Amino acid sequence: MPTTPILSIGFPALLASSVHDIKNSLSALRMLLAQLEAICPEPKASEFKQLNFEANRMNNSLMQLLTLYKIDVAQFSPTIDEHKAGDILEDVVAQQSTLLALGNIQLLTQCDDELLCYCDSILIGNALCTLVNNAQRYCLSKVLLSAEQEGDYVVFCIEDDGIGFPENLLSPDDQQIDQIDLSTGNTGLGLFFTNIIAQLHAQGDKRGFITTDNHSQFGGARFKLYLP
Amino acid sequence: MAINLTSKNILVIEDHESMRETLIHILGSLGARFIVTAASGIDAINAMRIDTFDLVLCDYNLLGDKNGQQILDDAKQLKLLPFSAIFIMVTGENRLELVLTAVDNKPDDYLIKPISREQLSSRLERCATRKTYLASVEQEIDKGNLYQAIQHCERLLTLNDKKMRQPLLKLQAELSLKVGDFKKAEEIYQDILIERDLPWARLGLGVVAFLLGSIDQAINIFQGLIEQYPMMLEAYDWLVKVHESLGDNQSALAVLNLAVTLTPMSILRQQKLALLADKTENHDIAKKAYTESIKLGRNSIHRSSSDYSGLANVYLKTNTPDMALKVVLEMSRQYQNNPEASLKASLLQSKIHQTSGNKMLARQAYDKALDLNAQINKQLPRELRLEIAKTFYLNGNSATCDEILNDLVKTNIDDKLFIKDIVALCDSVIGENHAATLIEQLQIELTDINNNGVRLFRAGDLKGALAVFELAIANRPENHGLVLNRLRLIIHDLKSSPDQEKILRAQSYINQALEIGIPHDQTKRLQIELDKLQHKIHH
Repeated sequence: MPTTPILSIGFPALLASSVHDIKNSLSALRMLLAQLEAICPEPKASEFKQLNFEANRMNNSLMQLLTLYKIDVAQFSPTIDEHKAGDILEDVVAQQSTLLALGNIQLLTQCDDELLCYCDSILIGNALCTLVNNAQRYCLSKVLLSAEQEGDYVVFCIEDDGIGFPENLLSPDDQQIDQIDLSTGNTGLGLFFTNIIAQLHAQGDKRGFITTDNHSQFGGARFKLYLP
Repeated sequence: MAINLTSKNILVIEDHESMRETLIHILGSLGARFIVTAASGIDAINAMRIDTFDLVLCDYNLLGDKNGQQILDDAKQLKLLPFSAIFIMVTGENRLELVLTAVDNKPDDYLIKPISREQLSSRLERCATRKTYLASVEQEIDKGNLYQAIQHCERLLTLNDKKMRQPLLKLQAELSLKVGDFKKAEEIYQDILIERDLPWARLGLGVVAFLLGSIDQAINIFQGLIEQYPMMLEAYDWLVKVHESLGDNQSALAVLNLAVTLTPMSILRQQKLALLADKTENHDIAKKAYTESIKLGRNSIHRSSSDYSGLANVYLKTNTPDMALKVVLEMSRQYQNNPEASLKASLLQSKIHQTSGNKMLARQAYDKALDLNAQINKQLPRELRLEIAKTFYLNGNSATCDEILNDLVKTNIDDKLFIKDIVALCDSVIGENHAATLIEQLQIELTDINNNGVRLFRAGDLKGALAVFELAIANRPENHGLVLNRLRLIIHDLKSSPDQEKILRAQSYINQALEIGIPHDQTKRLQIELDKLQHKIHH
């Protein structure tokens, strides 16, 4: 056996650069998919929608991984400015619209037109998209996305009529979540990501946070994102 | 309410055919009928020269000549976009950092691919609402009437639209900075910061501190921002300016180097880095930055022969004249029929041949430089003219040197930093007092002109007095005293015989005064008088 140690692998950086590569390949793949779909005669195969849906999920996850990596190595700071909460909800709905047509699922929104919030709208939009996406997966027929003022916080809330979060993803005693079980795959990552970026939103001594419970007004899962 | 594009002139800039088709399809479903497409930057600019567009959708990552930001920069610079046009940047990147490096011209919005009909529709609607709301302000900015733009901001703020309050305040603060009303800008930024610690407001406060001379405070603010928001490039850029203003080029270089590491594709930062490194004799950094600038310049309106001449100069300084010569030849190849580049090339060749001991070639190149200089000196950038003056002096031609210096002092008398550069050069190369004498002579000349104008005016010859100032300004377009005096005369005349045309002329002179940096307290007073006169005419 040679005695010189093998080069340090530097796994996080390696992973990040691979994720970046995969994301680029995925964009190329999505582009090709769009081309294929365009030349495919009507009626188009329903698999296209499913393909787009999955590609979109992958893209969201990769983007979240990259952002988390940058936060970890302190190369990232959110771009916080004043936004209309309604605009953020509208963006989420617009992004999900093609995917919604997949099942017979209703995505409802509810928000005061005058409600303003301070956040990085791209980050928050992305996080909400992923979570709405998951809710769509596990709901029966509808998802409600809403925003309202609660004391010093603007609260974004996603509720569905599914079977609710599994035990390991619930906040302890309706308190905010500290730790998230990542073994649950996409849902876990989405919550983990949202939890981290919520904490990047601070005002005075208040930080953003998330909660999960099964008290949806439709009987399913309820997710809440609090931004100060 | 979905937006209707039926009557809109639309330009789609996208190099991928399938993406282009998709966008056209989406636009069509929103009612669009007039759509022009372009697959490259050159096509896009040409299209904008032919037609006026209400909406431009532009892909950021174009293969070939220019990226989206460069197209936007060009279009703004060439005034091809009316203020009412909506420009949307489309990008494949999920994070916008790369796209956001240029800060001067911001598109109205960004969209991330893939784009759905609903997304585009809701964004367009939002942009259109905002544009309509701010139209009165933008229109005045477009005309250069900054004071009127501020008045419109104030008027809109009284409408108390909660959603528009912050964007309006931000705009008003930026405009206040532009006209030099630092106190007002400071007040706005502080008010915002009481409500919320927003990075742009803190940055604004730093800028105000810098412009008011509170240097330590400015440094603190910018450093704090960089620490907390490592991607906030504007904070780096301002910190560089602060260090430079203190003459601390080493610190400026260190900060700029960090910013360049974050945005290696920004040509303006690379060019600036090259100059700073050159000044501080950091030859390796300078070489690298000049080389990068040359590479990035291939697709940019910011491409400049100075990147080549700078690089050649560094090679000369580091005793590699053959490399320097190679760069000069490449510059000549890239900039054929460009007199400025030819002049730089001749000056450099003269130095290079001198260094390698080839006296005859050196002389030939020098003579060519002399000849070119006689034709175009006045059109050249002032830094280059200063450099040329020095070269002539060192070659024993002090008459030409003085001629250039004289004109430089004359046209830049109000720019204290540049005058300092001139004085420094004279002191180190020609001898002390040389610059001081030039400046003194010029001051006497200016006093004579002003006295002469005022004398004519007092004697009742307003036309004659104006003629004196017009002539003097033609020779010294940026002289504060002359521009102000002409303006005062015109406003005085307006008081006795107000008419709309004269008011417009006076307004354009006030705008010009702002552009050349005449302090706000002086221009503001004249603007108030002009506003009163305007009011009188309308009532």
